[in-house]
Amino acid sequence: MRVEAPGRVVYGVVLDAVAYEDLARPLDAAVHALGDPAAAGSPRDSIRLYTAAVLRQQPEEPLQPVPLGEVRMATDDDVRVALRMDAFTGGDHPTGIPIGTYGAAGLAAPVSLDADFLLGPEAAHLNITGVSGLATKTSAVEFFLSSIFQAFPARKGSVAALCFNVKGPDLCFLDQPAALSDEDTALYARLGLEPRPFDNVHYFAPCKPDGVNLNTLRTHPDLAANTEPLTWGLREVLEYAEVVLNRDDLDAKADAFIDFLDDRVVGKEFHAPELQPKEWKVLTFADLEAFFRAIFDALENSHRGDLWRTHHIATIRKVRNRLGNITTRAKGLVTDDGASSDLPWGAFADRAVYVVDVAGVDPLAQDLVFARVISKLREHLERRDLGVDHVVVFVDELNKYAPSDGPDTYVRKMLLDLSERGRYLGLVLFSAQQFRSQVLRRVVGNAGTTIYGRMDPDELATAGYATLSPATRIKLATLPKGELMVRHPHFTQPVFVRFPRPAVLSGREGVERFPPAPDLPFDEAVARQLRALDPGVSVERVRGLVGGRREDDVRRALARTRQARPDDAFSYFTACLGRRIEPERGTRRATVTPLRDPVDPYASQP
Amino acid sequence: MKLAHLADLHLGFRQYHRQTPAGINQREADTAMAFRQAVDGIIAARPDVVIVAGDLFHSVRPTNAAIVFAFQQFQRLHAALPDAPVVLIAGNHDTPRSAETGNILRLFEEVGVHVASNEARRFVFPELELSVLAVPHEALAQAERPLLRPDGSARYEVLVAHGEVDGVFPSDRSTVEYGGAVVQPDEFGLGEWSYVAFGHYHVRTELGPRAWYAGALEYVSSNPWGELRDEAEKGVEGKAWLLIDLDSGRATPQPIIPARRVLDLPRLDGTALAAEELQAAIVARVAAVDGGITDRVIRLVVTGVPRHVARQLDHAVIRGWKAEALHFHLDLRPPSPTRSTGVGAPGRRQTLPELVESYLGQRALPAGVDREAFVREGVDLVASAERELAED
Ligand SMILES: Nc1ncnc2c1ncn2[C@@H]1O[C@H](COP(=O)(O)OP(=O)(O)OP(=O)(O)O)[C@@H](O)[C@H]1O
Ligand SMILES: [Mg+2]
Repeated sequence: MRVEAPGRVVYGVVLDAVAYEDLARPLDAAVHALGDPAAAGSPRDSIRLYTAAVLRQQPEEPLQPVPLGEVRMATDDDVRVALRMDAFTGGDHPTGIPIGTYGAAGLAAPVSLDADFLLGPEAAHLNITGVSGLATKTSAVEFFLSSIFQAFPARKGSVAALCFNVKGPDLCFLDQPAALSDEDTALYARLGLEPRPFDNVHYFAPCKPDGVNLNTLRTHPDLAANTEPLTWGLREVLEYAEVVLNRDDLDAKADAFIDFLDDRVVGKEFHAPELQPKEWKVLTFADLEAFFRAIFDALENSHRGDLWRTHHIATIRKVRNRLGNITTRAKGLVTDDGASSDLPWGAFADRAVYVVDVAGVDPLAQDLVFARVISKLREHLERRDLGVDHVVVFVDELNKYAPSDGPDTYVRKMLLDLSERGRYLGLVLFSAQQFRSQVLRRVVGNAGTTIYGRMDPDELATAGYATLSPATRIKLATLPKGELMVRHPHFTQPVFVRFPRPAVLSGREGVERFPPAPDLPFDEAVARQLRALDPGVSVERVRGLVGGRREDDVRRALARTRQARPDDAFSYFTACLGRRIEPERGTRRATVTPLRDPVDPYASQP
Repeated sequence: MKLAHLADLHLGFRQYHRQTPAGINQREADTAMAFRQAVDGIIAARPDVVIVAGDLFHSVRPTNAAIVFAFQQFQRLHAALPDAPVVLIAGNHDTPRSAETGNILRLFEEVGVHVASNEARRFVFPELELSVLAVPHEALAQAERPLLRPDGSARYEVLVAHGEVDGVFPSDRSTVEYGGAVVQPDEFGLGEWSYVAFGHYHVRTELGPRAWYAGALEYVSSNPWGELRDEAEKGVEGKAWLLIDLDSGRATPQPIIPARRVLDLPRLDGTALAAEELQAAIVARVAAVDGGITDRVIRLVVTGVPRHVARQLDHAVIRGWKAEALHFHLDLRPPSPTRSTGVGAPGRRQTLPELVESYLGQRALPAGVDREAFVREGVDLVASAERELAED
């Protein structure tokens, strides 16, 4: 609303409304009407009192009380000025990112966020809270990302999104269009956006324990082309070993031993005269296991006590068990033999979405993926060689990864660090959870933009929401789907907006349209992966080649082929697989007749 | 379960001019003696299986003497250890370049040897619960290599192959035998085999857990000096074959007592020495050789000797040493050239190997030829030619 007085305009937003009538109680109306029910509902005189919060005054200085004047409903332009969007949506260099419309009584004024405050450098990060299903959190983030990709000005640089899919099929179909209602289509038009799916999406999912079927619900054959395996070897894992180890009682001694492995042993030439063998080059988990065994053998044989190079045997055993644990619990993500298949570090593309699907993997493996992916993003952005200038990282179910109570895990520390320092690097966290009160305060507190969907009343009763007016709280508890309350640095009061459904298939629609393929038999799964590299590869040929082979050998050859991305994937794969040498019985020769004239040609005497 | 691993016998290898009373090249006879000694040792050690990891012969067409001798040794082995299979693969030295030539190694099948000469073979010996994947040089030189992994066909699974394991050789590569197929360390599943027996590199080297180059039994390369240096660097003493306990993985070198020592005397620096001073220093060096130089293979490198000083040395004395030793090489090296003035382009003139390298680096190549390998081969060839000149 807008109040106008001579030389002064005040914009405000209604927070509360009360009606006063000449009757003390509603029942009085019925009494008054002398039993005529029809008359009881007839209009009566009433006074309505609206309490509004001032959003903006013009001129701003000097600060004055709100003058008496006519009050009007706001227009689009009024909304823009009231929310201070005029500073960043107009002019030569707009930085507005549309997020929905504000409106009452027929008004639907576009509301935008300031990119400088959403993606940095001024402020950054976005957090969204609300109850499951009704709050439309995941949908909202999908819509926001689409809006960012369309509206983020080119002169501000390139931007990509990295989404962790942590729940079922949630983010599995971002490249598939959805049918929208006319209302939603109109809403897109109103916001100046096109309702279209993401056109450059790359999916990465760890394998299942068989090493060839992917651990994701996006396994429909039509979607195979941009769905790739995510597998890491020893090198990749050891760098982030802390992640896996700090959950337990890991001590400084074990840390020191891991550092030793990382700095001196893995991937290096390591000389150890006391071990058998003396020269080591540990590249894979299998090598590492041999290395551990050699240490234990040496300790056993030397009777020199329990220390190997200042590390106690108990520490070494502990580290070995923990690392061994990773290969079992994260089987399918972690490969024994070093071949890795990874995100395109250094070659991220502008307006591309990279979805890492960890919905189906063990929590330990999830932590490992979070830790390594976010750390790598950070490293590359620090060196400015990721391929894009900004990355939005979307972490759904934040309460699981950065809980307010519970152990201070590596992942939580990392998310905190991201929320505190990311904006200088162009590393932006979009996060969502049902209960904000269950998330580490400092992580959500660092979000420049905070959004609420339909809220749980108990949650609203917690201390964090005390500053909201009772009417706002009631409104939050009853918000319909598609409506959100937004706090943003430019807005002096929270603003309610309506956003359209994302133009992509939801997880539920997606699995209906593209039902996940059942786990393929080993050879077909291999064929499918080869076909993603080279559509000409037939299942029959692969079956003929792979039949009777050891699965480990096939997996290794497949990993090599994926890494090399050769023109002729099938020949390359065949070469990697190597010719199979059939066993033959080594038959003994019973008797051998010596030469008849046994002269030794090299005898010392002629 | 015990396994004997020997490699790079190079029977028929000839070097230097000394002959035995029977008219055979002395180093060829030495090489044969080393093998005979190894066979004696193996018979005494009674292993369950014997592996010969390539380069039994120094050349594709060995002399009759070498063939007959090898035949006798294998026959002897079979007679003494009738239950121990012998597995033999061809190396790059005993693999003919064209297939029609046929491989002499097949002959030893007659004495019960299991031979893989051009194709990989997997021999299974059920009574020993043993399988041996035998991969000759030729099988690694082909485009489609065999898969170098165990197949679970036996309790003990052994790989025997002949080639260059990438990253194991010293970086200056002067002791690398030419023509070996390169195998990546991750190609053969270290740790998956009961044992991996490699041949090709003449210096005994542990490749990883349960994997070795046994090394040669004698100094049978054109560059024994580089071999000595590699051995010193690795702390390897002399030549040996390996006796492996397949259960524990322990490898015990079984030393060969050499027919004669091969010695590279400590270097002398001749810089700023007059001819007489230098002569005195050389004489002292030679006199200090423990056990003398008689019948040995000796080299003495003297650096910083200008040509006019070299000419003034007492060559009669040096000739005497050459007659006394089996081979005596006084390697007088001129001071390294310093060009202070020059005509034409400024800067240092390229050495021959550098010139070759830069030329080959730019030369047009047929499609599919790996330039790096091509250049390396060229440079190696030049280096070997240079060394051979230096040796004579
Ligand atoms: N703009 C919108 N208007 C109306 N309905 C919407 C809108 N966006 C999404 N929906 C619907 O709301 C439902 C829930 O959406 P969504 O999955 O995003 O919720 P969520 O808050 O992420 O839930 P959860 O906490 O369970 O993950 C979906 O069925 C979706 O179709
Ligand atoms: Mg959700």
